[in-house]
Amino acid sequence: MIEVKDLHVRYGAVHAVRGVSFTVADGELVTLLGANGAGKSSSILCVAGAIKASGGQVMLDGQDVTSANPEAMLRKGMATVPETRDVFPDLTVDENLTLGAYARRGDRKGVAEDRQRMFEMFPRLAERREQAAGTLSGGEQQMLVIARALMSRPRVLLLDEPSLGLAPAIVDQIFEMIAELKAQKLTILLVEQNARKALQVADRAYVLRLGEIAGSGTAQEIASSTDLDALYLGG
Amino acid sequence: MHRHILTLAILGALIVAAALLAQLMGIRLYERIATTMFVSMILVLGLQVFMGNSGILSFAHIGFMGVGAYTSAVLSIPDRMKGMALPDLYPILENVQLSPYLTILIGGLVAALVAAALSYPLMRLSDAAAVITSFALLVVLHTVLTHWSAVTNGPRTLFGIPEATSLWLACGVALAALIGAMAFKESRAGQLLRASRDDEVAAAAIGVNIVKLRWVGFILAALFAGIGGALWGHFVTSFSPRAFYLKETFLILSMLVIGGANTVTGAVIGTLIVTFAYEALRSVEAGINEAGFMSQQVIGLTEIVLALAMIAVLSLRPGGLFPAREIGTLLTLKRKTGGKSP
Amino acid sequence: MDFAIQFIINVLSLGGAYALMALGLVLVYGILKLVNFAYGELIMVAGYTLHLVGGSPLPWLVMAAVAVVMAMVAGLATDYVAFRPVRAKSVTAVLITSFAFSTLLQNAALLFISPRPRSVPLPEIFSQSVMIAGMPTPMRDIITIVAAVVLLGLFAFLMQKTVLGIAMRAAATNFTMARMLGVPANLIISSAFAISGFLAGVVGILWIGRIGTVAPAIGLEPLLIAFIACVIGGMRSLQGAVLGGFILAFIDTTLNYTLSQDLLKFRDAFTFSLVILILLWRPEGLMKGPSSGQRT
Repeated sequence: MIEVKDLHVRYGAVHAVRGVSFTVADGELVTLLGANGAGKSSSILCVAGAIKASGGQVMLDGQDVTSANPEAMLRKGMATVPETRDVFPDLTVDENLTLGAYARRGDRKGVAEDRQRMFEMFPRLAERREQAAGTLSGGEQQMLVIARALMSRPRVLLLDEPSLGLAPAIVDQIFEMIAELKAQKLTILLVEQNARKALQVADRAYVLRLGEIAGSGTAQEIASSTDLDALYLGG
Repeated sequence: MHRHILTLAILGALIVAAALLAQLMGIRLYERIATTMFVSMILVLGLQVFMGNSGILSFAHIGFMGVGAYTSAVLSIPDRMKGMALPDLYPILENVQLSPYLTILIGGLVAALVAAALSYPLMRLSDAAAVITSFALLVVLHTVLTHWSAVTNGPRTLFGIPEATSLWLACGVALAALIGAMAFKESRAGQLLRASRDDEVAAAAIGVNIVKLRWVGFILAALFAGIGGALWGHFVTSFSPRAFYLKETFLILSMLVIGGANTVTGAVIGTLIVTFAYEALRSVEAGINEAGFMSQQVIGLTEIVLALAMIAVLSLRPGGLFPAREIGTLLTLKRKTGGKSP
Repeated sequence: MDFAIQFIINVLSLGGAYALMALGLVLVYGILKLVNFAYGELIMVAGYTLHLVGGSPLPWLVMAAVAVVMAMVAGLATDYVAFRPVRAKSVTAVLITSFAFSTLLQNAALLFISPRPRSVPLPEIFSQSVMIAGMPTPMRDIITIVAAVVLLGLFAFLMQKTVLGIAMRAAATNFTMARMLGVPANLIISSAFAISGFLAGVVGILWIGRIGTVAPAIGLEPLLIAFIACVIGGMRSLQGAVLGGFILAFIDTTLNYTLSQDLLKFRDAFTFSLVILILLWRPEGLMKGPSSGQRT
């Protein structure tokens, strides 16, 4: 479904991604692992169209989408949960969800149903639906961002560090939910520093180091062949 | 080092050539155009000193031109004229009558002093806040010039200013401004300021006091503007505060932007090109008006064309004609790479 | 008491106009983080349109509507000519192009119409007065207050209740994220310019209604007013801009009543010094805007 070939990303003089290639098949959960600065987030943002590639190709369903803008990528069925947990802090929880369904705003009934479904999945959000999103706790914001992404009924979900900075109990909850989405046949590309957790839910994994692919394989292969603790340290 | 001298030599030669050409033509009008052009060039070079090195857009520049022009005028208008030209003048200034050549310098210094006193805290600001404050500063200076009747004769025209600015004086000062702008750009302060323009955080991290550097640039720019304004005052011999507002700002800004704000070469070439275009368009306007094609006077055509040119340059070549390298550097590089353009 | 009522009516009608001017400016600034220097010329365009259609037999309200539509078109033109080509390149470039576009429009008015002020058609009601608390009060003040209330209400509804409004508020805090949710950047920016033009058009008619004529430089004062109001109200907050408009009207009216003629001439110098001081103290403006914000 997604095919990334020889991707390069530069920020001025910094060459953050140096020729990364990976694929994600339909219904698959693939994870990109690596230390801070390995180029994971840059790769995922580039797939989402939020930053421009300086070289290489991104294909979606066999179509070249390398220079597509982010709104076009969403219309093609790709939803993104960025690492920075970007809720719109001044908008209410409800308004945030409304925007999640922006691309299908004509389908009022479907949007209303999905909103109900999200509130069932995340009861905490239902309690706070009139509250400004900026007043939510970190975990609640993460749930809101995921719920908002799902409101577009994506075919592919890009998740960037969903567990970052959250309490262990909430991290467990988030990963349960990721497993559930996978069970519903959603295609997921997951970027994580928490390699153990990620490998428990993933089908396949790629290990990034200093902007390059340092290893790849099924989740089991990577779990057994790689020193997971060293991943954190960039070793 | 020698490429900077090459830059200075080429630009200096252009300036002198323009002056010679104007004189050899022997037409009074051309001499006037060239003199005005040198005044503009001094202003544009001053704006380049601040904007080019700090990367911050300043709208206040023309306000300091006004400060210089009025200071020099008040100090040099002859005793017998003062009663008429400035009826409300403070008694202490009534008997002051200095040589214009001295007051031009004083005009520059006063503009620099005013800039120094007002601008230090403003230099903390970047982006939109910096632009709006500089715009606000222009409005404040303009309002003061327009209404401080005692020394400016209010919104009315101030006349009786002794004529002192000749073609060659303006040309000489323009050359000095060229050297000054180049020296500042290549000085340690100028280099640090440009480093801070490219990366504010990194520059602060290595201990660069950006605010102070910007301040120095701003004062120097005001000095240029003040001297330019004073020269202009002693050239036209009568003016009103309206001469130092948005229209003039637009003209000076278009010269710098079309030439390229980041380089001294851009400032000089931009002034030459825009002056030439401006005068050509003006004569077209005058031609149309004389021929009487239109039922009414044609005005504004020049500004429309200039505005379009400015937008076109910024869209197609955001850095202007000389976006990064001085002409001397370009030529040196060309020679080294065997004629290939860099 | 009578004086107090007069004072309040003055502040409200002036403040209503100021608030609308500020809102149009801050709407674009909030989303793009860029100042539109050509904003005042939208008011000029509305004025000249009214002047040009003035000879036609159309009812006045239709002429006014045409003027507002032309201001919206001019707003969109600002986006296409001055902003879109350079938006991605540099902040300074956009500020200069919008300044250039402002000069362009002003000189087009000079060239194609006239440097001298031109009269605009106004309905009778603009020159009539009513007695309020025993004092004759110009109807146009009342009209301005009513128009401001209606437009502010309409604007609040648009921003709070419609998807487009919510998307515009979202884009003002985090444009990239809004785009990643499928909100098209160009639509949002164009909408902001169109709404900005709409507000400028309406306020332009009210503003020109005070003097009855339009001249090429008419846009400068509204632009300066909008600047000050935005700075007082916080550069990115819509509510702040409205509040800033009313605060400025209060200050202006108070100065008008209290300062001597000699000092009144320096009013602009006072208010702009105030602007500089506020920006020094708080570069984001006096009131806090939305939490974050980055440029696109």
